[in-house]
Amino acid sequence: MSVFEGFKFRKVSSVVHNLDPRVKFFFVLVLFVMAVLFTNFLALLVLFLVPLPFVFVAKVNRQWLRSLRGAALLAIFIFATNFIFGYFYPTSLSGITQPVDTLFEYVVLLERSVAMTLRFVVLISSFSVFFLTTSPDHLGLALQQSHVPYEFCFAFTTAVRFVPVLADEAQTIMDAQKARGLELERGNLFKRVRNYIPILIPLIVNAIRRSLELAESMESRAWGASKKRTNLYELKLKRADYVLVVISVLMLICAVYVWLFVPVPSLTTLLSL
Amino acid sequence: MAVIKTNDLTYTYPGATKPSIEKVSLTINKGDFVILTGPSGCGKTTLCRCFNGLVPHFYNGKLEGTLTVAGLDVAEHQIYELARHVGLVFQNPENQLFALSVEKDVAFGLENFAMPREEMRKRVEWALKMAGISELAERPPHELSGGQQQRVAIASVLAMQPDIMILDEPTSFLDPLGAEKIFEVINDLNKKLGITTILVEHRLDLAAKYANHVIVMDNGKVALTGSPREIFSSEEARLIGVGIPKATKLYQHLKKNGVELKSVPVTTEEAANLLREVLKNA
Repeated sequence: MSVFEGFKFRKVSSVVHNLDPRVKFFFVLVLFVMAVLFTNFLALLVLFLVPLPFVFVAKVNRQWLRSLRGAALLAIFIFATNFIFGYFYPTSLSGITQPVDTLFEYVVLLERSVAMTLRFVVLISSFSVFFLTTSPDHLGLALQQSHVPYEFCFAFTTAVRFVPVLADEAQTIMDAQKARGLELERGNLFKRVRNYIPILIPLIVNAIRRSLELAESMESRAWGASKKRTNLYELKLKRADYVLVVISVLMLICAVYVWLFVPVPSLTTLLSL
Repeated sequence: MAVIKTNDLTYTYPGATKPSIEKVSLTINKGDFVILTGPSGCGKTTLCRCFNGLVPHFYNGKLEGTLTVAGLDVAEHQIYELARHVGLVFQNPENQLFALSVEKDVAFGLENFAMPREEMRKRVEWALKMAGISELAERPPHELSGGQQQRVAIASVLAMQPDIMILDEPTSFLDPLGAEKIFEVINDLNKKLGITTILVEHRLDLAAKYANHVIVMDNGKVALTGSPREIFSSEEARLIGVGIPKATKLYQHLKKNGVELKSVPVTTEEAANLLREVLKNA
């Protein structure tokens, strides 16, 4: 599951990591809206460049690249679909008529498909920057301070906490079943999926047992003692957070203005001028 | 002064045909260090669950007899009310830590009590210091060793400043060195803070020296109760299969072969001293 690789948190501290997760999320959301607004290659290229400083300041470039690489297959698929559909149904595109035959038309089509792929890459990139620089603990806290019921926040952070534990356990079970002669990499696709049943059942049973013990432990530590519980940590907006909010809002205003009033030229027309 | 008192306590889990504990009558005094032992499945864990209200509130089922803990009738008080007085540490350290940092885990109970943040900070720092893990405060629990995790679990219970601390086989997932450290921490809390301690344990070689009261359970009943020396040297304890400390076993062997030591040793040091005395006289 290499796509999810980029969404795993590593404990580091940097200016970006210390930003308030709510503000960071707002920033990512603004990027998201802008990426949806534009279909133009140049505009999307700019959007792609915007989160890059964050990647380098937070020093998460390797993980960021990895998550992009994980998304590569899907990106290629998006490019191919756009290209093929654009070729057979070119009516929706400006400057191309059926049949697509001149070099110019091919180039326009190509730019268009690349732009669509870039849009996807922008989304993946900005969300992975968010998740790479936000600790799940902070995220849970942000949820809680956004008035999400505590039960949900607790379920979220606990789920994150137990991911490595369950991964370890899955490995142990796999080893144990292999030691008893289970062959995982054998047979056709259907058979291979079925091979995993002896892994899944103990894993699920153990997870249920684990959750019972967790519940016992929570109860023993006064879960539900008071209606409004307090929290050891608190998120407070700092100066850097306000700066990012202002930047995000400005970006959004600019984007909407450009979208409404300024026609952004396509790369092809720009070059052929 | 009795801090836990049970009278004819009998409990049956829902759906079970046979009670897990039967007619248990016990008194545990304030400041005691109690070792609760007996063969697997004899009802030790169930009894621990009774002490903090998991039985009957979490497990339902049928509870008969009377049980008072820290002056509260368990049947009438919720688990979270009892949690202020009784802390329970479980066997598997992994399954009782659920936060993403150690300090957050230690604060969990206090958050539930809606304690103000500054006070909570102080409490958490104190509890971490008592458990000897101040330097781990910001680490994620899953990166710690089993022994460290178990100390976090102890700190998280300790932070609530209970009168009674119950530890249900806290060392069964640990190596001997980790186990010894845990026992030392527990003993410190018992001697320095006067927290009544109930330790469920099979391997008594390491733990026995700290206790002043031993309870042996068998088949859901209390089989023996008394001082460590008395219990460990008794024939009944051997027959039930209690993990009698090696020093005490040595005493019994010597006695069978005609060498009488002056008193019953529990630790190796005691045995060594007693032996030295005998050898000098001989």
